[in-house]
Amino acid sequence: MPKNWKLIAAGLNLNIPEGDLEKLERALDGLEATFRPLVETIPHETEPAIRFQCDPEQQP
Amino acid sequence: MALDRITRLDPKLKAFITVMEESARAQARQADEELAQGLDRSPLHGIPVAVKDVFSTQGVRTTCGSKVFADFVPKGDAAVVEKLKAAGAILIGKTNMHELAYGITSTNPHFGAVRNPWDLERIPGGSSGGSGSAVAADLVFIAMGSDTGGSIRIPASFCGTVGLKPTFGRVSRYGVMPLDFSLDHMGPLTRSVRDAALTLRVLAGFDPRDDTSSRHPVADYPLGENISIRDLRIGLPENFYFDRVEPATAQAVRRIAETAVTLGARIIPIRVPDISAINTIGRIILLSEASALMERHLAHRENFGTDVLALLDQGRLLPATDYVNAQRLRRLAQQEFQVLWRQVDCLLTPTTPTAAPKIGQTTVDTGDGAEDVRIASTRLVRAINVLGLPALSMPCGFNGAGLPLGLQIIGPAFGESVILRVGAALEDATDHGAQKPGNL
Repeated sequence: MPKNWKLIAAGLNLNIPEGDLEKLERALDGLEATFRPLVETIPHETEPAIRFQCDPEQQP
Repeated sequence: MALDRITRLDPKLKAFITVMEESARAQARQADEELAQGLDRSPLHGIPVAVKDVFSTQGVRTTCGSKVFADFVPKGDAAVVEKLKAAGAILIGKTNMHELAYGITSTNPHFGAVRNPWDLERIPGGSSGGSGSAVAADLVFIAMGSDTGGSIRIPASFCGTVGLKPTFGRVSRYGVMPLDFSLDHMGPLTRSVRDAALTLRVLAGFDPRDDTSSRHPVADYPLGENISIRDLRIGLPENFYFDRVEPATAQAVRRIAETAVTLGARIIPIRVPDISAINTIGRIILLSEASALMERHLAHRENFGTDVLALLDQGRLLPATDYVNAQRLRRLAQQEFQVLWRQVDCLLTPTTPTAAPKIGQTTVDTGDGAEDVRIASTRLVRAINVLGLPALSMPCGFNGAGLPLGLQIIGPAFGESVILRVGAALEDATDHGAQKPGNL
């Protein structure tokens, strides 16, 4: 079921004009359709590729 | 001479946001004196260069092509600018670009539409469009760009120049206005592959001020003559990279592959991982990170161009879970690609599916229906930012309209030497890069 982007924008209080939102819907629906199936394939233990270093020697 | 040429041609090209005439002349005088005294800082000593207007320059405004930063004057230089100055290069100015480096047309609503020297009615690509235009029109020898989803390679392809996106972490991002913390790469647009190698020699290396900077040893990038690619394994993708590509582009890249064979390389047909999926991952990451970065400025929507605002709005509508999952998928994609490098030393692909579109053109048709010009232009390059791999774009021919076409050489992480070697050998064996735009 497609996401209701207008409701999401309103819920997040983003103040995006309705006309602007309508122009985004197709792109967002397309992204959703290609991305959602990929998420289903991620093995549970996979960590994100985001760096965080606690070791002071490895920090910038 | 560079300044004279800029004075004559830049009103047509709109390649520069700021020309630093006074300081450039002072630097040139200093370079002359130093060289006359026998002090030769590097092969870039006395060479006119430009940097995209994302690189901080001490005391010189750095706009990021945006109204938001129109009056921002940095207190210091970006690491890249520091290194270029230390090498004796003469900084001529700051190049025009797509607003906030967030797009591929360089049709900038605040600083004017950058024009392609091969056809002034066409885009130069972007977001480093001013850098591509300036190098193609011989305004400077080298212009620095940034590449988050193809922004060095696309203008290189459309403008008929060389463009090098190094490995993530190879060139410091310190002092560069970010678009996306995990996808931004810095690299040069140049007239030749050897110039790109020369520039990378100056720029590469660890910088403790950049959290993502790598300590990986800097290689000896190829500059000499008689560069051999004998027995090198060059992968020619069987899937994705030649789908929905204009015939002239596909034929030009395949002809270059044949040239590589005559030079002793082995062309290996190979299936690549799902690039379309990696592009999707890249779009989620970029939308999320760029919107997070710019969110505090979005109360003033009038400060943004329509296309950039639309992207920033899209990013705000994505949940945090999508961003985290995209970064998890990124790790998996990286692992998949590592397997590929056991079979080949580099990949040869088109850079863009078409030559430069016209200014204002919103779709392209590669024979399989209309496609958004932004999606089409980034389709063959974006995934490489997600993977952080080095990639070189170089001219490989011309289409029927006389517009340049680009090929992309992709290497394993920190494999700049390999892709530059292949590029230099192919450049020596062809003359596509030697041709210049007329009618300027």
